[in-house]
Amino acid sequence: MARGTTIRMWRRSLFILMALMFLGFGVSIARLVQLQIFQGENLQQMAIDQQLKDTKISAQRGTIYDCNMKPLAQSATVWTVVLESAYLPDNKTKELVATGLSEILELDKNEVLEKAKKKSYYTVIKRKIESDVKDKIIQFQKTNKIKSGIRLVEDYKRYYPYGDFASAVIGFTGTDSQGLSGVENYYNDYLTGESGKLVTARNAVGTDMPFDYEKMIPAKNGNSLVLSIDEVIQHFLEKNLEEGIANFNVVNKAVAIMMDVNTGDVLGMAVRGGYDLNHPFDIVDDNMKKEIESFPEDGKAKAKAEALEKQWRNKAVSDTYMPGSVFKMVTASMGLEENLVTENTGFNCSGSLVPFKGARPIRCHKHGGHGAQTFLKAFCNSCNPAFISLGQMVGAQKFYQYYDGFGFTEKTGIDLPGEANGIFFSKDGSMGPMDLAVASFGQNFSITPIQMAVAAAAVANGGYLVKPHIVKQIIDPNGNIIRTSEREVRRQVISEDTSRKLCEFLQLNAKEGGAKKGYVPGYRIGGKTGTTQKIGQSGPDGLDYIASFCGIAPADKPQVVLLVYYDTPKGGSYYGGVVAGPTFQQVMQDVLPYLGIERKYTDEELVILDIPTPFLVGSSVSEAKNKLERLGMKPVVYGSGDMVVSQIPEAGVKIPKGGTVVLHTAQDTENKTVKVPKLIGLTPSNANKTAVASGVNIVIKGAISNGAGAVSVRQSIAEGTAVKQGTAVTVEFSVQNQPTED
Amino acid sequence: MNKNYRQRAINRSFQSEVLESGAERRQDGRTFRRGSSINRKKNAVKKKFKTFSVRSGLDLPLFFITIVLLVIGLVMLFSASYPNAYYYKNGDSYFFIRSQLIWAVLGVIAMIALSYFDYHHLHKMAVPILILSFMLLVLVLFMPVKNEVHRWIQLGPIGFQPSEITKFAIVLSFAHFISINFKRMGSFKYGVLPYAFILGLTAFLLYLEPHISCLIIVVLLSGGMLYIGGIKLRWFGMVLAVALAAVAYLVLFTDKLTYANGRVQGWLDPFSSNPNVDTWQTKQGLYAIGSGGLLGLGLGKSRQKYLYIPEPQNDFIFSVVCEELGFIRAAIILILFAMLVWRGIVISMRAKDRFGSLLGIGLIAQVGLQVILNIFVVTNTIPNTGISLPFFSYGGTSLVMLLAQIGIVLSISRTSKLEKT
Repeated sequence: MARGTTIRMWRRSLFILMALMFLGFGVSIARLVQLQIFQGENLQQMAIDQQLKDTKISAQRGTIYDCNMKPLAQSATVWTVVLESAYLPDNKTKELVATGLSEILELDKNEVLEKAKKKSYYTVIKRKIESDVKDKIIQFQKTNKIKSGIRLVEDYKRYYPYGDFASAVIGFTGTDSQGLSGVENYYNDYLTGESGKLVTARNAVGTDMPFDYEKMIPAKNGNSLVLSIDEVIQHFLEKNLEEGIANFNVVNKAVAIMMDVNTGDVLGMAVRGGYDLNHPFDIVDDNMKKEIESFPEDGKAKAKAEALEKQWRNKAVSDTYMPGSVFKMVTASMGLEENLVTENTGFNCSGSLVPFKGARPIRCHKHGGHGAQTFLKAFCNSCNPAFISLGQMVGAQKFYQYYDGFGFTEKTGIDLPGEANGIFFSKDGSMGPMDLAVASFGQNFSITPIQMAVAAAAVANGGYLVKPHIVKQIIDPNGNIIRTSEREVRRQVISEDTSRKLCEFLQLNAKEGGAKKGYVPGYRIGGKTGTTQKIGQSGPDGLDYIASFCGIAPADKPQVVLLVYYDTPKGGSYYGGVVAGPTFQQVMQDVLPYLGIERKYTDEELVILDIPTPFLVGSSVSEAKNKLERLGMKPVVYGSGDMVVSQIPEAGVKIPKGGTVVLHTAQDTENKTVKVPKLIGLTPSNANKTAVASGVNIVIKGAISNGAGAVSVRQSIAEGTAVKQGTAVTVEFSVQNQPTED
Repeated sequence: MNKNYRQRAINRSFQSEVLESGAERRQDGRTFRRGSSINRKKNAVKKKFKTFSVRSGLDLPLFFITIVLLVIGLVMLFSASYPNAYYYKNGDSYFFIRSQLIWAVLGVIAMIALSYFDYHHLHKMAVPILILSFMLLVLVLFMPVKNEVHRWIQLGPIGFQPSEITKFAIVLSFAHFISINFKRMGSFKYGVLPYAFILGLTAFLLYLEPHISCLIIVVLLSGGMLYIGGIKLRWFGMVLAVALAAVAYLVLFTDKLTYANGRVQGWLDPFSSNPNVDTWQTKQGLYAIGSGGLLGLGLGKSRQKYLYIPEPQNDFIFSVVCEELGFIRAAIILILFAMLVWRGIVISMRAKDRFGSLLGIGLIAQVGLQVILNIFVVTNTIPNTGISLPFFSYGGTSLVMLLAQIGIVLSISRTSKLEKT
């Protein structure tokens, strides 16, 4: 023991030494073990989280094309302005940044300043700015030498080049590019893709670290959709619906669905009025806008939300309606399929029918009654009593069986969000006698328009209930097809025979029955009208109706089904034939040539298919002859010259096919005169035949849209007058026995 | 023998002269002897002290451990400081290391020089240095506020903390007074009162700065020295109780508590999201330590030093050490420090007189305490308070002070009864 110490001092020194060793260094090392070994990973993760700055690389959302690869929805590059306020060194810079950004981005300065003062590494200031605004920000950064703190993150913005076109089908995306409605929503997972990441190491002031650390996970762009929708057809649907809405003052939107009856491809689905997909949150309807304004301040947001919901709603799949007489094609299918009736089965209509003892009588739309009629006639007359009787013959059980079979009790499975369920009388399918009576002509149960279109397709295509679809193909960013929608038959509901017969029924109905307003000559249109009273809903000016028209073309080999449906027309008529018929006709007239469907005219139709006489003066005789023959006209040449010097009738006069055109090769050639025959009291085709036989042409005037039931009543040149051969005589026709609307 | 020794110690305390004890060593057959005047002594030092000597030289383990720690410390200071220097000193990455190197050289020179200096002369300096310490502590209160505290005195280009002097002054004066009053340490008048007075005044002045970390070190050092000096444990216990009561009072009832309390909150929850509690430094330090794991990211590869840890060259340098070198090497550094303390205490315990023992233990314990408290702060074992890490943290005057103190311990080691290596 050293002499300078005592034992106590020695001991106490040792104690201090031990205390320093164990309490001091021992605990220190224990803490390091705890922090570095046990909590190391956690702490390291937290450190990495702050050191590595992820930059999200947005995936480009897939394009939505129509069936001809015309883009309907596209994504373009935009930028999101992000503030990394933690990297802004001082309050002066923060002030400067807030002022600059608020000016460029047109934001409230104080709000931006507040965000700048909060210490954060990621605060979104504004989303989706265009490249010109981005350039301004970059310029601002350069001029003020701001190296970090403002970040521009690449993003994509959805553009809809056609605005409100096919809005219900395409849908739109929200701020995070997520699909909110339509196929944008339904196929969101396919369209979205996977965003990538760019990871870089940053120091605490946000500039890059001197050592290299960069890792990139590239974004996987979304898949594109090819719709079965044809932009041209969709355009026709929308254009004609708009016209119908304007003409008949339709207040509650209108729907038109065109579908390939065999494949279930939806070629067009229009819901009007639409909304601009580029600005889906703007209320389009002026009445709705006023209504929202009338709400108290705290209720406005809710009212607006409801209005928007209504605006975005795809009425074709999300709303139900009572199909009315259109449904008679289904009831008729039941009768024929079950061999309960044939087209010749007799029915008697006295204007009303008591469906069973003690019930209130149900009136036919023709109050005087249709009298004795065949089943086919009853179909064309859309006679309610006849169909009540047929319904009773089918019976409630069978009726529901078919109802179920035609797919009215289930969703069609169309690839659109928000498909609604229909409402039947009861959940188990049982129905009372009155239910059965009204159901047989399509009343008191609700279905969706798409269900009706699919059922009509089944009626027309041989009885096959197909699954409708909007998307034909999904293609990946490299253009490879990753999914194709195949024809999907859910079941066969009726036989092909029955289907064929129904097509004939529908065609006859369109040609000369209640659906005449939808007829297009040459295209063998079949159709059925429907006018439904909206039960429990009546506006201030009387009852509300739904006017619909559902038909097929061509009836001999159905290709497309078209359902047109106007909810609550307020402009005079509300009948399906009057309101929806012309739209149907116009659409078919536009679409069928586009689809390349061959025209086949009946004699009657050929006549009214007048063609303007071509201008032939000055052309050679052979040339003129060729031209006329191509047009189906009969050339008669006088004179021996090589060139045509005059023609009868003159260029531009519309004459029926097969008409005579007289060509003179010299001015002074002898003119053969003919006598005008009697052309009154004839059908158009007979009048034409008579005229052609006499060497004159007729020019048809009057309402004979489909040539059925028209009789000539007047002729412009009296019978017996001598005229030059080929002269055009205007004959006026008038349609008699106007068939009644249902 | 024991009686003889005590008599001599008392004589010495009255004469304030160290020569006798030096002469005493001759009996042990040592080769050196001391004259009775300064001139003689100077000659004697030149003659008798060999820089490296198996028998009478300084203690090689202590010397080399110090040098090793200093070298590692400089390397790590360079690594930890260059991003800060790069970003804040106009791209001059060598800003901190350049200055530190110069001070380190000066410090080593001072250390070696002091190791030749007979520490008994310090008896005479004890009281003047203590008075100087008090004066500086008062003076510093009139210095401009830096980081909300009065802690620095600026002398031209050199800034220094008077509390560095204070720590030394306390150790020296306690060693001085205890060694001359060793026999009477049991009494209140000689064993408690002077120390209580010195410590109380110092603590009060430090508290005014405020410099809590230094206060803690001073209190712990004084306590330790009085304990070794033989104070009756009941006094010791009483002072401890009073101190605890005072601290409790400060924390609970004074307005200083806003400063302290935020730290306590941050200590309990370093990842707190409470914006009123600034835990940034602690949190970033912990991230760095955790990131190091077992083996570390490699020398120079710390990420946290990139401006995440504020001033990584100062108190939190050890977190960068942990991050770059990993647990194993960090633990080795701690073990080196422990060895330094161990060796220093062993040297002191075997010093040839009580003054040497007390002074040596006090000085080396100061280094040890600073290391331990620094590690405790960095690892968030205790609330954050500013304590620098000896040999590592940036700070020229403090490094020179530190090396000088080691030099004194080395001087003690020359006459210590050790098995020289």
